[in-house]
Amino acid sequence: MPRPTSNRLIRAAVAVGAVTALTAALAGCATDVTRPRVEASVGPVFTNLYVQQQALLGRPGLTPAAVAAKPDCHRSTPGSHDRGAGSDWICQVGWTDAAGRAQNGKFELQVRSNGCYQAGGPTKIVGPVMIQTSTGKNVINPVFEFDGCFDTT
Amino acid sequence: MAVGVPAVEASGLVKRFGGLIAVDHVDLRVDVGEVYGILGPNGAGKTTFLRMLFGLIRPDAGTLRVFGRTWGDAGPSMLDGVAGFIESPRFYPYLSGRRNLNLLAGLDRGGADSRIDEVLDVVDLARRAGDKVGGYSFGMRQRLGVAASLLRDPRLLVLDEPANGLDPAGIRDMRALVKRLAAGGLTVLLSSHNMDEVEEICDNVTIMRTGRVVYHGSIDQLRAQAPDPSHRLMTSDDEQALRLAAGHRAVAVSVHPDGGLALRAQAADADAYIIALGRSNLAVRALHLEIAPLESLFFMLTETDPEAGFGEPAQTQPDTLTGVTS
Amino acid sequence: MTTPATTATAPVPPATACPRPVGRGRVVTAYRWEITKLAAQARTRATLAVCLVAPFVFVVLLDRQDRLPKDTLYGRWVHASGFATPLLVLGFAAQWVFPLLTSLVAGDIFASEDQHGTWKTILTRSHSRTQIFWAKALAAATFAVLLLAVLALSCLAAGVLLVGHQPLESLSGTLLPSGRTAGLVLAAWASTLPPLLGFTALGIMLSVLTRSSPAGIVGPIILGLLMQLYAFLNGADTIRHLLLVTPFDAWHGLLAAHPYYGPLRDGTLVSVGYILICLAIAYTALRRRDITGG
Repeated sequence: MPRPTSNRLIRAAVAVGAVTALTAALAGCATDVTRPRVEASVGPVFTNLYVQQQALLGRPGLTPAAVAAKPDCHRSTPGSHDRGAGSDWICQVGWTDAAGRAQNGKFELQVRSNGCYQAGGPTKIVGPVMIQTSTGKNVINPVFEFDGCFDTT
Repeated sequence: MAVGVPAVEASGLVKRFGGLIAVDHVDLRVDVGEVYGILGPNGAGKTTFLRMLFGLIRPDAGTLRVFGRTWGDAGPSMLDGVAGFIESPRFYPYLSGRRNLNLLAGLDRGGADSRIDEVLDVVDLARRAGDKVGGYSFGMRQRLGVAASLLRDPRLLVLDEPANGLDPAGIRDMRALVKRLAAGGLTVLLSSHNMDEVEEICDNVTIMRTGRVVYHGSIDQLRAQAPDPSHRLMTSDDEQALRLAAGHRAVAVSVHPDGGLALRAQAADADAYIIALGRSNLAVRALHLEIAPLESLFFMLTETDPEAGFGEPAQTQPDTLTGVTS
Repeated sequence: MTTPATTATAPVPPATACPRPVGRGRVVTAYRWEITKLAAQARTRATLAVCLVAPFVFVVLLDRQDRLPKDTLYGRWVHASGFATPLLVLGFAAQWVFPLLTSLVAGDIFASEDQHGTWKTILTRSHSRTQIFWAKALAAATFAVLLLAVLALSCLAAGVLLVGHQPLESLSGTLLPSGRTAGLVLAAWASTLPPLLGFTALGIMLSVLTRSSPAGIVGPIILGLLMQLYAFLNGADTIRHLLLVTPFDAWHGLLAAHPYYGPLRDGTLVSVGYILICLAIAYTALRRRDITGG
């Protein structure tokens, strides 16, 4: 029975083609990971964690409003239009430290398609992976590396 | 016999599996109170028919009524009062025999739990009821299958090759049990590939071959149509004996494929021939019945190319043979 | 078979005269027996035992090494707060553990009847295929819920008992008060129930269609891994939203300082879609099939 078989083949080919075309079309469409979303998340998360770090180091009383971290994020891959998941996101973050001085650091982000990311900061400015608290305890430095997630809907 | 609603009534039943027609326009009627046999070699469509009866397989055409109900309008209630098993009964191996029966009683309508001891006793499994079914022998599972059927307190008991896989003692017990149950008024529908079994137990029989009904009627009527019994004969000089047979019209003698001669004749004609052998100084060294009359009829009906000797094949003129039970 | 038969001899009154439970009552009866059958199987009991014990073993092993599983959310905080343990396991379990655990039962519950040849045994009693189908589907769902509850409570207990109940970092860089954290952790676990039930339905469908336990069990795991792979390779986000693994991440929104529920809402809708489609296909296939084996 050659005819039904070839019919089935044609139908399968059409279906595969349609799915491929749809996938290609959708791939070009809006993505969940965008520059505004990344920036809107990294800023407050870093601010909050920085306040925590400063408290651990014996400088309590710093408020998130005073730190007011402002990130400026881009993807380093050309043609990526600063959107989409990837490990090439770079955020230049500016904030105010406990002494009122302006600070600036480059953070490397690995952003996953589900809206969660892992950020790593410059050791020179944010400190090493483990820090000693004012009471002498060794704890994880909350801003050395940190995780965050944003709404992708 | 045909009073009231028949226990089973099939008309024009058809089932195809792909290109294969497993059941081909089967008509069948089992009246209440009779012991009915469906006989046929493996692949004749007996099991497919019984599966349709239980609603396990959907017929492609035709109707099937059980106590007047069809699957379409009664659903599983069609099987009210019906119990039995298809091929070998199967149970959950990780549960005990009793637990399996508990489960099936639960799936019935409840209330049957109290009868579990009773039915285990009937099939002589009471002592092993606490053991896991995984450790049961084939015969024990077969008996548990009967117990599971009796649990439903059926009016119609359907047994598919109940003697299959049993040893001679098991077969004897199984037949005795079926006869006892039938004597109590239970309608029994039994499938078998064994003519002896059907002849011993059943009142009426349907013989199937490759999905079709080739005979339909009472055992007595079947007996009347049976051909001559077939014997194997060993003589001191087979060639001479074969030549002598030419003078006896009523006997059919041929060379037996396994040695000696094959002799087919009615008893009186066979006697005459054997006496003639002795008169001709030919000694008879062995004579034994090879195929019983009904069995040889069964082979004639169900072999692909029915030999001449038995009248018209039923599938071409069903009217000559069917209609006995109705 | 020596005792005279005393049964099956008296004519039975017509069946319709007997009082009979309605359809739903029969589903409950069949469901009870499905649960009994599951409880009698070593595999089911072993799975639940592993879910109970494994989190404690996991925490002990984690405690012995210095490297932190930082690639998974909350991995960096496992030594700092016991509440991080259940969330770390949650992030990790979604990859393939959840599909595996639920399909151990869901992928087998229909196919095992084929394996044991018992379809004919149960379908020739007084229950319809529809009733048996729902009883089995409910039993598989019950197992999934039980599994999730046991694993969640066991992880929480292991973390809190072996590490402590220190305050936990939210996903916004703030500390969560330890009073509310236990509730949030359990809510996060509960939020994975819809996709878990989605995988249960997937297992049920494969179990019915393939009639093979291995295919029913391995199928959902492979499909889950393929979906993970699609997300990992940054496939189109529109399609990613329709994958059954995506809702496993919906709990992230609950752990934010300002919780967001969009992913949970969308994920629940997607999961319900999978459940409906898979069950519809499985139901139709079971209703239509000819039971020829066994």
